[in-house]
Amino acid sequence: MSYSELTRRYFESAPHAGVLLREDVSMPDATAADVCTPRVCTPLVFRGAAGNRDRGTWVQFDIRVAARRCLDARFLAFGCPHTIAVAEWVAEQASGIALCTHLPEPCTALALRFEVPTEKLGRLLIVEDAWHAAATSALTLSGGDPMSSI
Amino acid sequence: MSDLPVPSELPVPSELAVPSELAAYHELPVYLDNAATTPVDPRVAVRMAQVLSSDAEFGNPASSSHRYGSAAAAAIETARSQVASAVGADPDEVIWTSGATEANNLAIFGIARYYRDHGRHIVTSRTEHKAVLDPCAELERRGWKVTYLVPEYGGIIGAAQLAAALRPDTVLVSIMQVNNETGVMQDIAPIAEVCAKQGNSWLHVDAAQAVGKCSVDFGGCGAHLMSLSAHKVYGPKGAGALLVSKRGARVHAGDRAGVHLTALQFGGGQEGGLRSGTLATHQIVGMGLAFQLAGEMSRAELRRIADLRDRLWRGVAAIGGVLRNGDAQRVVPNLLNVSFEGVEGESLLAAVSPRIAVSTGSACTSDTQEASYVLRALGRSERLSESSLRFSLGRFTVERDIDAAVAVLSEAVPRLRRVAGA
Repeated sequence: MSYSELTRRYFESAPHAGVLLREDVSMPDATAADVCTPRVCTPLVFRGAAGNRDRGTWVQFDIRVAARRCLDARFLAFGCPHTIAVAEWVAEQASGIALCTHLPEPCTALALRFEVPTEKLGRLLIVEDAWHAAATSALTLSGGDPMSSI
Repeated sequence: MSDLPVPSELPVPSELAVPSELAAYHELPVYLDNAATTPVDPRVAVRMAQVLSSDAEFGNPASSSHRYGSAAAAAIETARSQVASAVGADPDEVIWTSGATEANNLAIFGIARYYRDHGRHIVTSRTEHKAVLDPCAELERRGWKVTYLVPEYGGIIGAAQLAAALRPDTVLVSIMQVNNETGVMQDIAPIAEVCAKQGNSWLHVDAAQAVGKCSVDFGGCGAHLMSLSAHKVYGPKGAGALLVSKRGARVHAGDRAGVHLTALQFGGGQEGGLRSGTLATHQIVGMGLAFQLAGEMSRAELRRIADLRDRLWRGVAAIGGVLRNGDAQRVVPNLLNVSFEGVEGESLLAAVSPRIAVSTGSACTSDTQEASYVLRALGRSERLSESSLRFSLGRFTVERDIDAAVAVLSEAVPRLRRVAGA
């Protein structure tokens, strides 16, 4: 399978891959299992995931939220290059913007941007579901309306 | 070290020289996909070019009335002898085809059509190439019964397994000599013995991956039919052969001795009526020389390739979280199949493919990933089957290729695991 230059660039670099840790604890070697149980890692860090590794695609987002904004985002993704590239792009774009349960771009637009084949659009929905879960967690647990920005 | 000349040492006419923009070898991915196809040996290419440009050998080999046709026919008969000699067959047992797929089809459908009144049952294995499985599936659609043996641990078909599967109406057993994904070698002789005891069934062996990697002895192994391919042996694509035994002493009621096939294509009666169509002289000459070279391959060369394969395995194993597929004690020298834990198959291939040309164990081109059916049949999970890579070395693989591949994998696999949180 061939990939667009954009897909390959985001897939190969992925600087936002990882997890967000408690700010007040130095845990450079921590893994996802070390922190964030339950979903609220700290009052400011929230997590959402979707998909299933055994079925080929799984995505997780960690978002750090303050003052109604997403300060930072990280992702983990077990999936194809399109899945990883789009998750990376979402994490990159989300940093600094008002938190919303929707992706910065709808899946249809992301599919065009990254030239995702039609038969793989379901994987973008998993990225969307993971983001939605993280954002909803943040909005719900911080007392906001999950259907709107905080 | 190899006792074969490397390409740069071979006399290649200037008109055949690789264009300078392609000669920058370091810019091309390391080629470790020789089980898919091999580069044409420069000596083969030179010979083929000679035939193509010859004033004497361009004739139709069936045109025996003039010297042009006779020259082409002579070249083809030389190639027939070269192929036969390399695999322990008689020249008159060689039927030219367009490749192993056609040879497999001719063997399976040819037997099925000829012997359908004797029985309509076939035995094969779940790990055969699609060029065997798909014809069998087509026969099932036409009412035939097919028993698919599941290999024992490591990928071997046991003689007892086969014996239990044979029925009085079994007319064909088709078992590959070397598996194209795992490289596991099947011992054909015990399989042939079981078939002989049963008495009704002909044994077909797909040996496309075996020639040049292990001993192939058509006359001695007991097989009745054997499929061969040129492009797996540094020959051209589009050339192959089916060996049809004429030494078989077994006789079906009313038949003369030997294996009988019903032809699948008609129009000219070439190849004893089994494969009509004008023979492609240059392709066949290329295949002949390629097989001669394969037959001349020394033990030292096979040892060199096996050492490189072992070097690759040591480097890959050092990454951690890797599983070797297939019985390592019964694998051809040039092949290594590995599953990588914690990485997704398509991403793994995408990460390494710019710098290493390998095959993956999955066909992940759609939302429905298809894991390797061979590895699944050997008991690997669907996830591990998808995250497997087949490395197949070849005549022109050198140590720096292996080291480069290990370096790429040592960077890509841990990175993908970090991204996946594994």
